[in-house]
Amino acid sequence: MSTLAIPSTPRSRTSPSAPGSATLTGAPSSSRTGRAAVVQASPHYQTTRRHSLYGTEDRVVIDPGSRIWKVGFSGEGRPREVFSVPSLWSLQRSLDTIQREEEDRVLVVRLQAHLRAVFHDSLLTDPKSRKVIVIESPLLPVHVKDTLAKILFENLQVPSISFASSHLLALLSVGRITGLVLDCGELESTALPIFSSRPLFHQIRTTPLAGARLTSHLRALLLLFGTYIPPPTSLSAAVNMPASSRSNRVPLEVLSDVVLEEIKTRCTFVGEVLDMALNSGIVSPPGEDPMDLDLLPSDSAPSESDFSRISPDRDSNADPASSDFSVVSRSQVLPGPSSRGEHQLQALANLYMRHSTATDLHLKVLPPASQQAGTGHGTLIVPGWIRERGSEVLFEGGDVDEGSVAETILDCLLKIPVDLRKTLASSILVTGGTAMLPGFIPRLHAELIRAIATPPSSSARPPMRPGRPRLPAYDRYSILRPLVPYFAILNNPSPGPPSDARGSTNAGKAPAYTPAMMAWVGGSLAGALKTGGVEVAREKWDETGDHPGSVDTAEESDVAGRSPANVIPDWTRAPLPTGAPPANPPPPEITETAQLVVVGA
Amino acid sequence: MTPTIYYHCPCLSTDSIPPPPNSPSSSYSFHPLHELFFFSGYHCPNCLFEVPSASVRAEKNRCARNCFMCPNCRNTLSVVPSDPPDADDLRSLASNMSTVGGPPFFLYCNYCRWDSTEVDITFEKPTGLAAQLQKFEDAAPESLEFERLKEHFEPFLRASSSSGLSGHLQAAHSHTTHINPITAAASSALAREISGVAKYTPAPRGRRDKGSRDEISEYRSRVEVAGTKDASNVDFMRRLEDVSQVAALAQRWTNSWTMTLHSSDLRPLRIPLHSKKTKRCPTCRHILIKPEQKAHHDSARQHGAGNRQAAVEDTSGASGLHAGGTYPFQLALTNPLYDPIQVRLAVQRQIPPPSSSAPDGSPEKARRPPFAVSLPQSAFPVAAFAEAWEYEDDEDMFGGGDDELDWIGNGKTIGVLERRANVTVVGGEVVIGRDAKGPVKFNMLVSYTYRSDDPLGDEDVRTTPSRKDKVPDMKTFTFYTVVDLGDEIIPRFS
Repeated sequence: MSTLAIPSTPRSRTSPSAPGSATLTGAPSSSRTGRAAVVQASPHYQTTRRHSLYGTEDRVVIDPGSRIWKVGFSGEGRPREVFSVPSLWSLQRSLDTIQREEEDRVLVVRLQAHLRAVFHDSLLTDPKSRKVIVIESPLLPVHVKDTLAKILFENLQVPSISFASSHLLALLSVGRITGLVLDCGELESTALPIFSSRPLFHQIRTTPLAGARLTSHLRALLLLFGTYIPPPTSLSAAVNMPASSRSNRVPLEVLSDVVLEEIKTRCTFVGEVLDMALNSGIVSPPGEDPMDLDLLPSDSAPSESDFSRISPDRDSNADPASSDFSVVSRSQVLPGPSSRGEHQLQALANLYMRHSTATDLHLKVLPPASQQAGTGHGTLIVPGWIRERGSEVLFEGGDVDEGSVAETILDCLLKIPVDLRKTLASSILVTGGTAMLPGFIPRLHAELIRAIATPPSSSARPPMRPGRPRLPAYDRYSILRPLVPYFAILNNPSPGPPSDARGSTNAGKAPAYTPAMMAWVGGSLAGALKTGGVEVAREKWDETGDHPGSVDTAEESDVAGRSPANVIPDWTRAPLPTGAPPANPPPPEITETAQLVVVGA
Repeated sequence: MTPTIYYHCPCLSTDSIPPPPNSPSSSYSFHPLHELFFFSGYHCPNCLFEVPSASVRAEKNRCARNCFMCPNCRNTLSVVPSDPPDADDLRSLASNMSTVGGPPFFLYCNYCRWDSTEVDITFEKPTGLAAQLQKFEDAAPESLEFERLKEHFEPFLRASSSSGLSGHLQAAHSHTTHINPITAAASSALAREISGVAKYTPAPRGRRDKGSRDEISEYRSRVEVAGTKDASNVDFMRRLEDVSQVAALAQRWTNSWTMTLHSSDLRPLRIPLHSKKTKRCPTCRHILIKPEQKAHHDSARQHGAGNRQAAVEDTSGASGLHAGGTYPFQLALTNPLYDPIQVRLAVQRQIPPPSSSAPDGSPEKARRPPFAVSLPQSAFPVAAFAEAWEYEDDEDMFGGGDDELDWIGNGKTIGVLERRANVTVVGGEVVIGRDAKGPVKFNMLVSYTYRSDDPLGDEDVRTTPSRKDKVPDMKTFTFYTVVDLGDEIIPRFS
């Protein structure tokens, strides 16, 4: 799976190998020889193993995202086809057994349809003769992974599958094997440190602030601040009535998923950190005190303490702007914003508006079904500040469960062993579709620095509760502060002027592959290099499971008898080593020790 | 809506018994008859050129001739010659050339008027355009960078064939199975956390030189991402006036290389090839339908589960189904086999829906099925298929005047209503409960028996798992269908 195992090609056999690898990779090699008899062998295969044009050496590389799938052949610089899929799985799973069975059935049929289409419509290749590399996110639900394997083996009958970690492959695509990879995708943003091609899975950090959250946030903003001009009821009305008199609030029906996806991918970008402008003292936010904008029920306590109670571990007192961001996101939580909330949000909108020079955009949208009477399309006006500041939701931290993207990276760094921190902080790689937003990576770098560089000024921090003695400010990232000069995002397109810092020379040195494609390109590279994750051959699957012929009973026995855990590797299933008992009682981080033993073995 | 029947094919599903008809997965388990079959040959949908399967892969699954799609509207592009040179003194020459046109040629979209000169693509000759563009593709930055990456990793992989990149999982495997406990104990002891000592185990072979813990030399990118277009993209987005200036996601998502967002920079796309699919049974691999060939009878005969045509007629009229009512319906069963068959119908027992989905929350009510279906209990015959010219007169073919059906018109609704040629119409009845809601859908098990003297019969039977050997010659097949009689039950108002 997540590691790069050398498949036992005859070539690599010649070199000394670990005692274990022989048995592990033995199966694939036997499958290869077995298949050679089946596949119409031509002398061509033997001669041009690496660059065979028609041969079956090139593997199929599938990157099944929760939203967008990338598919192609290994050895190529770009995927053959990219397509979006309806949401196949989510972060939730039903607790009710009957409902869950039903969900699983739907998952199977949908996955199967997509996987079949990959081979038959996109790649036009026979699945029986192609090995497959499946790129998996480390937090891909295991049942989805099992389902993928089951369909590939039993329905499509592929000869072998390798599961490879998307984070590691993304690193390969920039020519490295060590780095801290942040994958900002649709469902989650996941930070995973990788050292010398070994993913440190136990240091993984994740936050649900990602593409899907951005979409819902944009929807909420547009409902409040967007303008919708319905199509004129008649052609004469179009002449007589000015558009401004027809404009009104955006109906929910107009903001379909398609329209929002369009807005997100074609209109949105990420502006610079705003508090620069604020701190330089241009204006204070109009209307009321920005601290009072918080929509959480506030008592008579002063608004500032109110705020710090909500986000005690944040240094945002220095920047009122970022506290405003949290206000907006909370408006989604409220079923319908009260007039007070709206008023405050209006103040926030004014703030952003004042500091945004982005143009408003007019989009042609389909009018809601109830108002189809008009002539033609309606117009949706997306304010410029929403285009620029809608993505603030991703950078707004302070929530313990849903840290900002920058906080996720920093939390991950905090968990990493001390001696690796500097190395990893200076080789951060940002991948994933949401990171494709223009300006995302430079902003993320600024947020990283801002989150740790500014120590919370203890004078500005009010007591936690009135009457209590003042607490020392909780400085969460103080330990990382010496690393600030070293922070570098490998694929930062505008890394700024080369500073004196030693580590940050890495910034911007990565090849210009797009963040969304890095994992796929890495997979393609791994395939071309004949490496990639642990390969599971179909023979192995078949002997553990039922005979594929008796498909009708496969489902039951799957639950009862077969444990795919033995066949499909996953880091969550990796057994703890049954090595020698420790001299003293097991240390608390038994898993970590296990990991290290494993690495060293 | 029109009542429908969908078929459940055990070959296509992992379960021999279909899911309850009202669950969402039901719609995936049942198929209209024509979908029940299952690849052979590739062609370009535009020029209809048949591409040999050997070159499909090399040509990137795209048409390698002159077929391109417009990057804006996906219309097919046509190759047009340039306007003749606009020069007065060449007037006579120009008029000659305008009839044939001259180089350079370019691609033009007849729909949105996009042309390839916008992105500086022109051609010397109007044929083999893909080949002319190939040099651009070969020189694409992502391909060159990819080759460089390969060269970067290859020596490293060779050097550390099993210890370097092989990673911890493979090591884990070897550890659990092949390292003896003493070695394990040693490594475990060595790996124990000691304050002040590095946590990672030293790299094997002591190739850990200062400054490069990766054990791999620094990779120098051919083109670094710094200085690419992203910064200008932010500016461009900020000043954007018209959405159409930004390329849509679908227009740029196959690019693995950082590009501008401008839609004006999009390049023409080669048309993807299509495949013609053979419909074949996934279990027995027997080809059922080949493209360009009509499905012939042997194929229909082969697919035991799919070959029972049955049509439903709902006689309840246009007023819809009302709660508390009783409605008759008819099923027409057609036998495509050359042998007469005996058919038996059974309604699959309704599995009560999960109580959480019951609207009124009362478990008692939820458990009671919302409607009851009555079908003829006994087996009834359906005559063998015969070609139209084999019937002696129209009456045999189109029904009427059958002696066995003397009870037609007696007000009876359940039972065999009509027999003509190889079609038998049976009546059924559905009684809808007073509190019923939702669609009237039920799973129906159809089993049929015939006497086969077909020597190939054994092969047929193998494909259907639900075979029962009673008499060597008698063959029984069963398959599930889902019958949808109507969309909604109209609630009863008292």
